[in-house]
Amino acid sequence: MSLKKIGKFLSSMQFAILLLIILATACSVASFVTQGQSYSWYAQHYSERTAALIIAFHLDDAFHSWWFLLITGFLCLNLLFCNIFRLPQLLQRVNAHSSPPRLSQNASCLEPNVSDPYAVFRHLRLSPIDGTSEDGRQILYASKNSLGLWGAWVCHLGILFLIAGFSLGQITQQQETVYGIPGQSKPVGDSGLILTIDDFRVELRDDDTVEQYTADLTVHDTKSGGLQSASASVNYPATLFGWKFYQNSTGWAELVTVTENGEFLQNEVLCAGEYLRISDKPDLVIYFNAFYPDYVLIPGIGPQTLSGQINNPATLYSVYYQEQILGMNVLMDNEELTIDEYTVVFSEPQPYTLIQVKKDSFTWLAFLGGIVTMLGLVLAFYIQPFRVWAVKEDSGMWTVYGSSPKGGLLFKEKFERAAQSGSS
Amino acid sequence: MLQAENTLFTIVMLLYFAAMILYFIYIAIKRDALSRIAVLLQAFGFVLHTAALICRGIGAGRLPLTNQYEFATCFAWGLCLVSLIFVIRFHFPVLGAFAAPVIFLMIGYAAMQSKEVRELMPALRSNWLGFHVSTAIIAYGSFGVSFVLSIIFLLRDRLKEKGFLDQHIPNREKLDTISYRSVALGLLFLTFTIVTGAIWAERAWGSYWSWDPKETWSLVTWIVYAIYLHLRIRRRWEGKSAAVFAVIGFICVMFTYVGVNTFLPGVHSYA
Repeated sequence: MSLKKIGKFLSSMQFAILLLIILATACSVASFVTQGQSYSWYAQHYSERTAALIIAFHLDDAFHSWWFLLITGFLCLNLLFCNIFRLPQLLQRVNAHSSPPRLSQNASCLEPNVSDPYAVFRHLRLSPIDGTSEDGRQILYASKNSLGLWGAWVCHLGILFLIAGFSLGQITQQQETVYGIPGQSKPVGDSGLILTIDDFRVELRDDDTVEQYTADLTVHDTKSGGLQSASASVNYPATLFGWKFYQNSTGWAELVTVTENGEFLQNEVLCAGEYLRISDKPDLVIYFNAFYPDYVLIPGIGPQTLSGQINNPATLYSVYYQEQILGMNVLMDNEELTIDEYTVVFSEPQPYTLIQVKKDSFTWLAFLGGIVTMLGLVLAFYIQPFRVWAVKEDSGMWTVYGSSPKGGLLFKEKFERAAQSGSS
Repeated sequence: MLQAENTLFTIVMLLYFAAMILYFIYIAIKRDALSRIAVLLQAFGFVLHTAALICRGIGAGRLPLTNQYEFATCFAWGLCLVSLIFVIRFHFPVLGAFAAPVIFLMIGYAAMQSKEVRELMPALRSNWLGFHVSTAIIAYGSFGVSFVLSIIFLLRDRLKEKGFLDQHIPNREKLDTISYRSVALGLLFLTFTIVTGAIWAERAWGSYWSWDPKETWSLVTWIVYAIYLHLRIRRRWEGKSAAVFAVIGFICVMFTYVGVNTFLPGVHSYA
């Protein structure tokens, strides 16, 4: 197969349709598989055989798998080649759209014996009307909406921008999560930024539902020595040092205090999901599972909270020794946990904030792609290019011709209505 | 206001039902005058439906676009709007007869959902909500109409020649053209939906595309209609093949709306 043939196939519509069918099928199949789980998880939820198939076909991370990237790559090639190969032809069509017509030119519709061709042009709101002649016969012509010819081309370009922006963003983006309570400072991954949570507020409505979560943040850039502050709330991220800070999530934190034979040993603020290692007995670990501000035990379901208000606080914890679980239980308010000579107390419950920190330099390209795609669709669907020309016959009457590459039947009907206005 | 909305909603359901029955009688007894009354009833139902949505919006103190009930009633409203436009624009009352059951089914689905007005969670408190969901309503409404048109297209060949329906249904070329116009409107608005959703997601979740099932199925729907548009250009595959893809497209729309919420929970689970 010659390079030209390969290029022609890669840019062909058949190939585009085939790729789109494969892509739609792949996406729909992948949507039914919970992404990012392990073999054992799939084996437990489906069957061992299905789990093996999921792992073998990379369906556990389908949208980043080699085959998905291959399909997307081919789609990009198809769009790129299609746009490159079609450009000269398109420019020719755009040029021909406004150039003088030939007597031999094909028309999609015609109306003979028209007495007033100008009325037809007026009816179709065509201006300016140009004139030419061929074989001594007078020809009037006008065209409209040549921009519409660019619709599919612009749409393909937009999709290319979109895929490029998304792919580059996926490759280059930096993303970290930081969580903590007001007053805590934590590094933001390897970015060189130190994030301090100055304040975290949960605004509640009268019915106890959450209206907004807001975190006041200060960021110290250790590289430049700069300091910037802003508030981040849901839907309103903060931008500091070119990074975006999103108020992503929240949960409960508690102060965990450990005493040994009545003597203070250590304390630490733990967020739910974190653990504390006893400093002089590192094999002993206290894991903070969850906090229930308004605790209730529902049979068959387990611990739940009735509201977000601290009415009946309880803490679910686990104790591990040498990585083996010793037990799990609930501590009510003011209850102490005693393990041999150690006493553990959970106190001062307060909400913590989880801040997502992100830098994606190509988001603008993806959004530009989206806007260009929309523009292309508007041009393709709603800017109908058409041209009309009238040839004066020997009888003194005119034959009016119309042509619209995308207008089809609706253009023919429109043309017929206009032609009638010139015939009366 | 919510009581008024409730009353209006019931009247709208009755009007849509009456319009549907009248459309059926029009086809059964072949009286053109009945189709005009059916269109008027549907149009009157649409006006009251709009009033009901306005009452809901005032009563809730926000755009009524945030839960299953609100989206279902808006979906029926969008379907009714687009079908009325196409019925009137193309003088095609038979389209109304085929669209009316779909509208009635959708408003019936809405009636089965909880009408409780709940306060919005912080992620939904955004100006992008209005753009994102209202464009989806127009898109879904347009795809609903293209589905109905494609069904008519596929059934057309089985109709008795020179029979009532044969004479009251446009020829294949015109049906295909109307269906194309409907898909074009739907695809444009679906693209608006996806783009506005991406901008909103970027602000709310820090990621404009995260392969959430709703996002994935919106993309699948977009691709299916893109296939439809490409097939229409291919001379050998135009017509029937394209119509089949328009039907598949609407199945995807329905799965994106109902199926994803039921079977594939994700970040859009509140929708």
